[in-house]
Amino acid sequence: MIRKHVLAALALIAVSTGSSTAQNTTLDLVEPITEYKIYVTEKLDRLVADTKTFTDAVKAGDVTKAKALFAPTRMSYEAVEPIAELFSDLDASIDSRADDHEKAEADPDFTGFHRIEHGLWVKNSTADLAPFADKLMSDVTELRKRITALTLPPDKVVGGAAVLMEEVAATKISGEEDRYSHTDLWDFRANFDGSYKIVELVRPLIAKKEAAFLAKVDANFSKVSNTLDKYKQGAGYVSYEKLTEDDRKVLAVAVNTLAEDLSTLRAKLGLD
Amino acid sequence: MTKRSSPTRDISAVSSRRAVLKALGLASALCPFGGMAVAEGTATPPAGRHVTDAPVANAASPHDRVPFHGAHQAGITTPRPANGMIASFDVVADTPDALERLFRRLTQRISFLTAGGTIDETDPRLPPPDSGIVGPVVRPDGLTVTVSLGASLFEDRPWLVRLKPRRLIRMTRFPNDALDRQNCHGDLALQICANTQDTTIHALRDIIKNCPDQLILKWKQEGNVPVIVPGPDGTVQSARNFLGFRDGSANPDAADAALMDRLVWVGEDRDEPAWAVGGSYQAVRIIRNFVERWDRTPLREQELIMGRVKNSGAPLHRRGGHEFMVPDFSDDPKGVTTPVDAHIRLANPRTDDTRDSLILRRPFNYSNGVTRSGQLDQGLLFICYQADLERGFIAVQRRLDGEPLEEYIKPVGGGYFYVLPGVHSDADHLGSALIAAARTGLAESVNREKRTR
Repeated sequence: MIRKHVLAALALIAVSTGSSTAQNTTLDLVEPITEYKIYVTEKLDRLVADTKTFTDAVKAGDVTKAKALFAPTRMSYEAVEPIAELFSDLDASIDSRADDHEKAEADPDFTGFHRIEHGLWVKNSTADLAPFADKLMSDVTELRKRITALTLPPDKVVGGAAVLMEEVAATKISGEEDRYSHTDLWDFRANFDGSYKIVELVRPLIAKKEAAFLAKVDANFSKVSNTLDKYKQGAGYVSYEKLTEDDRKVLAVAVNTLAEDLSTLRAKLGLD
Repeated sequence: MTKRSSPTRDISAVSSRRAVLKALGLASALCPFGGMAVAEGTATPPAGRHVTDAPVANAASPHDRVPFHGAHQAGITTPRPANGMIASFDVVADTPDALERLFRRLTQRISFLTAGGTIDETDPRLPPPDSGIVGPVVRPDGLTVTVSLGASLFEDRPWLVRLKPRRLIRMTRFPNDALDRQNCHGDLALQICANTQDTTIHALRDIIKNCPDQLILKWKQEGNVPVIVPGPDGTVQSARNFLGFRDGSANPDAADAALMDRLVWVGEDRDEPAWAVGGSYQAVRIIRNFVERWDRTPLREQELIMGRVKNSGAPLHRRGGHEFMVPDFSDDPKGVTTPVDAHIRLANPRTDDTRDSLILRRPFNYSNGVTRSGQLDQGLLFICYQADLERGFIAVQRRLDGEPLEEYIKPVGGGYFYVLPGVHSDADHLGSALIAAARTGLAESVNREKRTR
């Protein structure tokens, strides 16, 4: 149902973009973009459902349960971050960090996942968190609504593969994203999955022409994935603090190289 | 991406302070280590500039080019340009092949950047190949990029550990240090110097972009040297540091090749690994100055702490003199004129048994921002070179431990590194001798294993 709808919308865009090369490349991308929209929709459905359970636990004062649900709930958001970030107001209220705000943790605009994380881990309490829980729930619901109505811009989708690696390079490698809970490796995995998904979707379009490029990208993806696997625990990951200095370096160079290489992905698909 | 650029001029052509002063009949006062130079027999050294001479106003040109090839790397005996930086990296290289790949890439980038050239135009849908911050034509601008290696690079790799230069250690804390681990050590350091700050930043960004799979930036510190307008007689005085004193008056003469061979470069006579010949030990210290407090200290006290007249730079026993007069403490054993714990007296007591501890200083001033206490975060990016780290910087700093100046300074970062020997030609690359030695070692250990089986 959704798929047909998006296809139609995309076909319209393709026709309206003017130059014939742009038209052809965009048409080539119809299939992967449609697949990606389905992926995003699934992630957002999951995000809304998980956030409900998570915020319910916060409001019920169940610190242990809320702590256990924090990292897995965020994964659905982190996997589709380049799309979620298209709505900067919601991204700020859902996922901003204390240092995005002048008064840091005490700033009234500091809301969302990390505000709740701060309460759960630093104060080990759900006291005063109920309003933030309600706000987070309404924000993710609004996010799903807006993205469902959105025709995904091809450049944002393809460019998202690199954007996710930039996210990792800028804040996950240092462990500053989830600074209270140290659950950064969960986010790392979600960013990785989101980036890899995009490469998988466009792979058939460049498999022949860009075999060497894909081989190099795949090798670095494997390096990241294998290194992260060493830190698996149950359904998730151990604390970021357990990451060894050697593995941090392996991850850093693999992620930086992926960010460099994937920054050429749009051009390889003929996108501006 | 590497079309060579337009006509350039060799940096050593810049007029010499020595030559100018000599013409003024001041030659005898010039040699920073007085009696020693006579003993060394340095009659008429070639016209060259002191490493720590202040950059001369309006003399620098974008076309200044420091040759990349030579027995030694550039950027050590090269006169200081106005801007300098140390950037330290972690290295990812598990094998000699991987390390060679990094050295070759660094060689290729540094060779291009220091020569200059035109950046190729590429498909605008791609990220541009160059940051573009110096425009489409890269000019050499006096750029040098000097590559050095930290102890950890050797110690963390079994195939390199036996090749570590003998005196290379991880920098250890001195009593007055407050080292911040965020700003210390590293597997590989780059000293990047140029006439303008944009050129140093451009070089750093180029190298980071071209080596993402092997270099992880750990810390960096930028600095600069005030540009000096020559006096009416053509003389150029030493630049001042952020304590307001002239810095570099007593530096060994970098134009004196024999002196540099003895003090700075590791030669075959040193008990160092063969690959290390042509290299040098580099000590880097980020030394914060408590400038507000210093500025609230009486002038006489400042001068007694430093051992020099603040305005002129003259030694205290020659108050009316100038900075290039050689300090002589022999008739002041009790420190009546120059206290025995004055900075310049401790650093260089000018006695026979301290001659071995001479170092070639090449520092830059830095100004970073404001501390949480609302004080200026300023100081000295101290860099020095010597053939023997233990008898050079470490011996000097041990003598300085406990000096009165410590109340006003706090070393907060840095590290010890070994500067790779120079690149001889286009066919050669940085670290070629080290890689060859590492491979030989690997082959030998494989053979040994085969024999024991």
